Amino acid sequence: MSTDTAVGLIPVTVTAIDDVTPDIRVLRLSPEDGHYLPGFSGGSHITVGIDLDAETHLRNAYSLMSSPYDTSHYEIAVRRVEGGRGGSRFIHTLRAGDRLGISSPVNLFPIQIHGKLHIFIAGGIGITPLFPQLEELERAGAAFEAHVSCRHPEDAALAHRLAQRFGSNVHVRHTSQSGRQNFGSVLARRPLGSHVYICGPAAMIAEVRATACALGWSGSHVHYEEFVEQKTGKAFDLKLARSGITLRVPAQVSPLEVLEANGIAIPYLCRGGACGQCETRVLQSDSALEHNDVWLSDETKARNSHFMPCISRADGGMLIVDL
Amino acid sequence: MLITGIKSRPVYDRLAPFSDALLHLVVGQGSGGSAMARLLADIPAGAEVEVMYSTESFTGQNHAEGLATASPGHVCRFASNADLEQALQVRLARAFMGTRLYLAGSESFIGLAMKVARQFDLNADEVLREHCGSLVRRVWCVHCDAYNENITQRVFSCAGCGKPLVVRDHYSRLMGAFMGVQGDAEVPGELPDASDLDT
Repeated sequence: MSTDTAVGLIPVTVTAIDDVTPDIRVLRLSPEDGHYLPGFSGGSHITVGIDLDAETHLRNAYSLMSSPYDTSHYEIAVRRVEGGRGGSRFIHTLRAGDRLGISSPVNLFPIQIHGKLHIFIAGGIGITPLFPQLEELERAGAAFEAHVSCRHPEDAALAHRLAQRFGSNVHVRHTSQSGRQNFGSVLARRPLGSHVYICGPAAMIAEVRATACALGWSGSHVHYEEFVEQKTGKAFDLKLARSGITLRVPAQVSPLEVLEANGIAIPYLCRGGACGQCETRVLQSDSALEHNDVWLSDETKARNSHFMPCISRADGGMLIVDL
Repeated sequence: MLITGIKSRPVYDRLAPFSDALLHLVVGQGSGGSAMARLLADIPAGAEVEVMYSTESFTGQNHAEGLATASPGHVCRFASNADLEQALQVRLARAFMGTRLYLAGSESFIGLAMKVARQFDLNADEVLREHCGSLVRRVWCVHCDAYNENITQRVFSCAGCGKPLVVRDHYSRLMGAFMGVQGDAEVPGELPDASDLDT
C-alpha cells in the first residue's frame, strides 16, 4: 500500500474528438510531455479518472482502439449511457484541450497468437478492442474474421470503419433489419485450433459461450471481456483499521475509487469483480454487504469475511477493513 | 506414470473420455494399446471415434488385435511412429473444433505427437496423455537438431552429428524431448561416467 497522490495516473490531453454517432464519441489522448505513452497489446484497456465534483472521483475502464504500433497517443470510444453514474456523460462534455488522468494499460483480453483462426464476435461498443487486435493479427499474417452486430445502420459508424480498415474479413450485421446473428452458424465446423473472442453485452457473451460449449469448443479457446456497469448504492463510511483513516464512500463511487482518490493504492486489474486482485479482509460492518463480484465463493460472501472494493460496497453505516 | 525429480518432465494423465467431444481421436503406440483399449471401453456407445495405432515398440508390445476388438470402428495401423505422426498431422489439419485427442505410449512417442498437437494449439482441456511402457528418454541434440530415440545412458554418441552428448535432466516441452549437449566441449575427451539414466 502506498500513499502516492498520483496513484498511477498518467496526465494526458484530449487532442481530438470525433462524435461518430449521436451516442458514441472517439477521443484522442496525447501525453502532456510530448513523448510516448506506455506500450500495449490489442485487447488492453485503461481507466480514465473522472472528477464529477469535489467528492465524486470515478474511474471508468475503456478499451484502447488505436494502433499498438503508435503510442504517441491513445484512442478510446465512449458510448453515452443515460442513467448510471454519469461518467460517460461527463466524457461527452469534454472538449479538445481538456486534461485527464489515465492508468497504464492492462490486458485481460489478449490475442492467442498460436491459434489457427481467430473469430471475433462483437456487439455495440464492444467493437473497440478489435481495432488493435486485428491490426496485430494482420501484421502476424494470421487468419481472422469479425462478426459485428449493430442495432441500426446509424449506430454502425465504428463497424464500418473497421470494415473499411480490414476489408472482407469484417461482417457487419444490422440486427434491426437482418435479425440477430446466428452464432451457431459462425462457430460450427470451424478448423481445429480456432479461437473465438466475444466482446459485447452480457447476454451476448452468455449466448455465444453456451453455443460454443454445445458445439464442443473447449473453454481454453473461448475468450470474452465484459465491462460491468458500476452499481450505485448508499453512501457509507470506510474505516481502514491499520492506517487509522476513515473515508466517506459516496453513493455513486466504488470503495476502490475512493481509496485511489485519497492516494491509497491497492492492487487491482479488472475493476469488475472477476480477477481477485483487490480482495480485502473485512473486520466489521454494521450494515449488510452487497457482494457484486464473481470472485469470492458463496461461503465467503455469506460469512462477509472479505469483499471486493472495486465493485462491492456496504449498505450504509460503517465498514471496517484490514487496510 | 514416470516418477523423477525433474520438474520439467511432463506429468501425464490417465486416459478418460472427455464428456463434451464431437470426435474422440484415440492415438497411440506399442504398449499404449492397453490404455487405448481401456479408454475405448469407457467412451459411450454411439460417440464419434477414430483410432490410430503404431506397432513400433521398443519393448515389443503389440496390442493391435485387442484394439481391433475394443474399437467400434476401423483401426488405422501404422508400421512406424513416424508414419503415424505424419498421418496425425494430416488428420488434424482437416479436423474441426470439438475434436479431443488422446495419446498413449512411450514418452518419445507422446513428445512426437504433442509437437503435432501444438501446431493446432491443443490445450490441456482437449488432449490427454497416458505414459505406458519403457522409461527410455527421447533426446534432442542442441548442436545438430537431431532427435535420438530410446536413450538409456547418461552419455551417448548423437545419431546426427556424432558428438558425445550428455543428457540434461531437463525436458523441453517445445522440442518434446530431453536436451543433449556436448559433454567434452571444454576439455576434449573428458566425459562424465556413462551411467544409466534415472528415468
